[in-house]
Amino acid sequence: MNLEENKQNICSRCVMDGSDPEITYNSQGVCNHCERYDSLVQTRTFSGDVAKTELSKVIASIKASGKNKEYDCIIGVSGGVDSTYVAYRIKEMGLNPLAIHFDNGWNSELAVSNIEKTLDKLDIDLHTYVIDWDVFSDLQKAFLNASTPDGEIPTDHAINALLFKEASKRGIKYIISGMNFATESMAVRMWSYGHSDWTYIKDVYKKFGNGQSLKPYPHFSFFDLFNWTFLKRIKVVSILNYMDYNKDEAMEVLKNELDWVYYGGKHYESVYTRFYQGYILPKKFNIDKRRGHVSDLIRAGQLTRKEALKELEKETYPSAEMLNHDMDFVHKKFDYTEKEFNQIMKQPTKSFLEFKNKASKVDKIKLVLNFLRKKGILSK
Amino acid sequence: MLKTRVIPVLSLKGSGIIKTHKFKTQTYLGDPLNAVKIFNEKEVDELVILDIFASKENREPNYSKIKNIATECFMPLAYGGGIKTIEHIKKVFDQGVEKVIINSASTNYQLITNAAKIYGTQSIVVSVDIKKNIWGSHEAYTFSGTKKNKISLDSHIQNIAKAGAGELILQSIDNDSVMKGFDLKLIEKVSNQLEIPIVALGGAGELNHFKEAISHGASAVAAGSMFVFKGKHRAVLINYPTQKDLKNILN
Ligand SMILES: [Zn+2]
Repeated sequence: MNLEENKQNICSRCVMDGSDPEITYNSQGVCNHCERYDSLVQTRTFSGDVAKTELSKVIASIKASGKNKEYDCIIGVSGGVDSTYVAYRIKEMGLNPLAIHFDNGWNSELAVSNIEKTLDKLDIDLHTYVIDWDVFSDLQKAFLNASTPDGEIPTDHAINALLFKEASKRGIKYIISGMNFATESMAVRMWSYGHSDWTYIKDVYKKFGNGQSLKPYPHFSFFDLFNWTFLKRIKVVSILNYMDYNKDEAMEVLKNELDWVYYGGKHYESVYTRFYQGYILPKKFNIDKRRGHVSDLIRAGQLTRKEALKELEKETYPSAEMLNHDMDFVHKKFDYTEKEFNQIMKQPTKSFLEFKNKASKVDKIKLVLNFLRKKGILSK
Repeated sequence: MLKTRVIPVLSLKGSGIIKTHKFKTQTYLGDPLNAVKIFNEKEVDELVILDIFASKENREPNYSKIKNIATECFMPLAYGGGIKTIEHIKKVFDQGVEKVIINSASTNYQLITNAAKIYGTQSIVVSVDIKKNIWGSHEAYTFSGTKKNKISLDSHIQNIAKAGAGELILQSIDNDSVMKGFDLKLIEKVSNQLEIPIVALGGAGELNHFKEAISHGASAVAAGSMFVFKGKHRAVLINYPTQKDLKNILN
């Protein structure tokens, strides 16, 4: 099989395809993401009675850790479905969370009003960290100029850093995360890399930033992570893995109970995310993140393969009018002329591998070996 | 009867917006463009942008910044900060602003008169920042609250009205960002003396405060903290009451 044919290929179970350059298929034509899911789903999620028992155990420990304290856990809030549903469920179970919001300068009105309604109805306190826009916009622009598809990494990394920092500062032992194996099990590192790699982020900024201090930018090294997890014993609990998490059902609950409003796309509560996933990634990198998302839902049994393929035929942007408006807004926020921005869109693409990074060398070797094995170049 | 306007006020500092507390400590709120975009979608009646240190730092208005904000702004925009001359006023209007606000130059009554003649009285707003002295009487300040006016407050506001200002923003320095309510005595005192509309600013923390300001003579209400902070940690979160809530409280 040559490379061209491989590119045309698509997993026979989910809808992942050659747009992930590292995809491999087994003899049944099932991709490595599906295989990984099957091998991990038992260890990552609980269901049925076990889920109930485990959930009440973890809730009890969280409550105990917060005895006589103002809060027993921290949650990140973005206005999106996962984080809102986490807030709803843990309040229902009697936890007393402090909500943390990272304001990166791209909140949509829907995001802020969803956050407001949720916190009001559930009576949850909020702390917001507003990142210095001059610093943060320059970091985002550095990633655009670096031409890697990781333009959302500055936000993702900062949110994680912020949650740990706040937990550490306030002596809170639990971070409740909205990550869930059911609907987002898959990581495609050639689509998005660097969530926890400060070395990579720093190197991109060093090469493409205008030299401001990144001090206001919440970040963490592996050393910090070690300190938080092992010395301070801050635990991250992905609570949605303790229940049968169904996105559609969750959205129904939020709409009915909290007046929460859907914003028309995964993580589209942020204007930049909407533009990045709806325009930059598909146009410049030929990456349609929805492909990963619907593949997750297929594996979780929440979407059929046929429905998924149909979903992918739709435009990535909710409407052409919205795209035009967002485009103007992005130009203005970044102080780009149309020409400057189009120049960036035309730059040859790169990957994180061309920058300093901490993706372990072993991983790389493994992947190459696996690839070669699958191709029959190396023996098993 | 005209609808009561409810106006968010954003303070510029450098490239960002901030919120002061009693004109002193500052909280960073982020990029003005995003705040304006959110207020657009919340269908705000009118927006006030103040470059609060421009006059104190002897700067002219930052015209390109004003243009950036004005082009993003769907609602009527009033701008104040660093305006000293007719030339400044002209340039500010050229950026797409609907109203200019004169503060530190407000004792130059001739400027108000000239501006009102050229641009119409409805587009010239004067704002007066007021602090109580130790005997509890109100005194007007300029230059970010650092310089006390020589002229008495009563004479000052009457001169402003006579000079032809279209409306007066009455801001309490003492109540700035305290969110416990407006200085109602001040509103009552000033509105009793003037025919022009008074916009109350400084102290709003809940919808009921708006009602109080109106019943004490304000024609419109404005707020900073209330529309940018949430809850006991004063978490930054842009918000604005729904039209329904406003109707319920103000009618
Ligand atoms: Zn697959």
